[in-house]
Amino acid sequence: MPASTRRALAAVVAVMGIVLLVVGAWMVFLLGPSGEAQFSATSKAPGALVVPSDVLNAVDVPVRVTATRADGGAVFLAAASSTDVRAILATSAASTVSGVHFPAGRLDLHASGAGVPADIRTADVWRLTATGAGSAGLLVDQSRAPETVVATSGDATALTDATVTLTWDDPAWFFEALAMATIGAVLAAFSLNDLWQGRVIAVRGDVAETKTSEATT
Amino acid sequence: MTRHDLITKSVAMLRLRRDDLIGKDLIGKSAARLRLRRDDLIRVGRVIVVSVVCVVCVVMIASVPRWGATHVLLGIREAPKANTTSAPLTVDQAKRILARTFTAAYLGETTSGAAAQAQLRTAYTGEGLRGVSGRVKLASVQPAVSASLLLAPHPKLLAVSRGFGFPRFIIAQTVASDGGLPILHLLVSPDAATPYRISMSAEMVPPATVEPFDRLSSGSPLVTNGTGPQLTNGTGLTVAPATLLNLYAAQMAFPAKAISKAPFVADSFAVQVRAGAAGAAGAVASQATYTQVHAVVPSSVYAVRQASGDALVFGVLERTDSFAVNPGENVNTVANKAFVLLTGKKLVTKAASITTLEFVVFAVPRSTGQATLVAAREQIVAGSGS
Repeated sequence: MPASTRRALAAVVAVMGIVLLVVGAWMVFLLGPSGEAQFSATSKAPGALVVPSDVLNAVDVPVRVTATRADGGAVFLAAASSTDVRAILATSAASTVSGVHFPAGRLDLHASGAGVPADIRTADVWRLTATGAGSAGLLVDQSRAPETVVATSGDATALTDATVTLTWDDPAWFFEALAMATIGAVLAAFSLNDLWQGRVIAVRGDVAETKTSEATT
Repeated sequence: MTRHDLITKSVAMLRLRRDDLIGKDLIGKSAARLRLRRDDLIRVGRVIVVSVVCVVCVVMIASVPRWGATHVLLGIREAPKANTTSAPLTVDQAKRILARTFTAAYLGETTSGAAAQAQLRTAYTGEGLRGVSGRVKLASVQPAVSASLLLAPHPKLLAVSRGFGFPRFIIAQTVASDGGLPILHLLVSPDAATPYRISMSAEMVPPATVEPFDRLSSGSPLVTNGTGPQLTNGTGLTVAPATLLNLYAAQMAFPAKAISKAPFVADSFAVQVRAGAAGAAGAVASQATYTQVHAVVPSSVYAVRQASGDALVFGVLERTDSFAVNPGENVNTVANKAFVLLTGKKLVTKAASITTLEFVVFAVPRSTGQATLVAAREQIVAGSGS
């Protein structure tokens, strides 16, 4: 391989290594040893809070969904198949999670529908349910995907000013990020070393060439 | 290199820099200025360009949704599609539903007042609610059903529906702890917002058995014709479920009507009903004209495919016993305690009728043979007289 090609290749690998190192280290810092990523959003609009399957089932690890209402009232949280949730909510007012921002930890909410949701607690479509005063949480596994999670009021008062929090954690993510950073560091180190060695040899070559030409003259 | 040489070279470089401003070979002069060969400088330039391109590519890839580094690392993917060949309920869900429903049925039948009515409405729906209401109303004059739900605390889950369409069903079987005949129950949920409730229950007719259904995790499909629970065409069966029930209802009429090539095997329940009709007709022959008709209750027919390809068909018939009293005659009804309780009349001078629901379950083969009655129950629900 010509020296110039080798040096160009080394430079490319060095850049890629540095990128891997930076991204990996950044994600190691963000995820932490538990490999936890958390996102939340608050809806001021009255109506149900909905976490659709696009978000809930986007990663093949369990998701912890927590809904908290500011007024301390009862919260009903449930998971069911997406088609059932669409049917049961119909045109009721709902704020649906439409985007997840990493690493900002922010969720986008999309408001739709109008009207107070019917009492959905008696339906049999719910695979998982949880109720609580002020807050409720569910750990939704991926075994029955696609599913949708709905948070509504667990009492007669409407659900307003409620916060939904999604937490994914997978320790493997931390080690994957660590591996990414390590591989990047190794690639960058070897490539930069190769570039440096090549430059030294080239300079020595120049010096030797100069001495040879001086001796000739 | 001595200090003098260094100063001399530096001065020369400064001169060169000044010359650079007007020189044409910028690369060569820049290389000289940097103490590099011209080719090396070109290589360095190429490396820088390639590096910038790489960085731009990485940033672009990282910023494209679903292709970003975070997506790759976290394994972010599109949500899987719904599996239409799976059951909409887990086994645990179905068992919880059965426990809740049968508990409500038990409370509804063993207590009284508004709370009991509410429990019955929680447990039963449609003709099932009509039947149990009649049973509760006539509890004082009719023998209690021996295999009441309260005596069968552990329902056996036989089948759940397949897919995410509606209506959905659960088929369960209970066996009274004190013995007695097993009872088949059909629970139905018509839409996502409405919970499962008992649509019908019927005692199995010895020596009938229920063939196994598909696995609970995959559910069992309804034999549908696209018009909801009321079936008019059961493809892949020896007889369409609705046709079967209509013919069965017709052959039980009194006076009897001949049915040619009946698609069902003769059974003890039909024999018992016809014998009862003949007895009633004979008892009032001198005072009234007695007729009995049976009609399939609309939207009560559910046919569920079994693992073998056969189907279990559930349906409800409404039987009307009519008495047209002969002119100048009076019929004393005191002996019929159920009629007295329902109508408050002990003497009928013009006409009377009694409405009874007949819950029947048939096993229908897919290719050859006749349908067989698997379970049956009858319950008086209404009466009128004048």
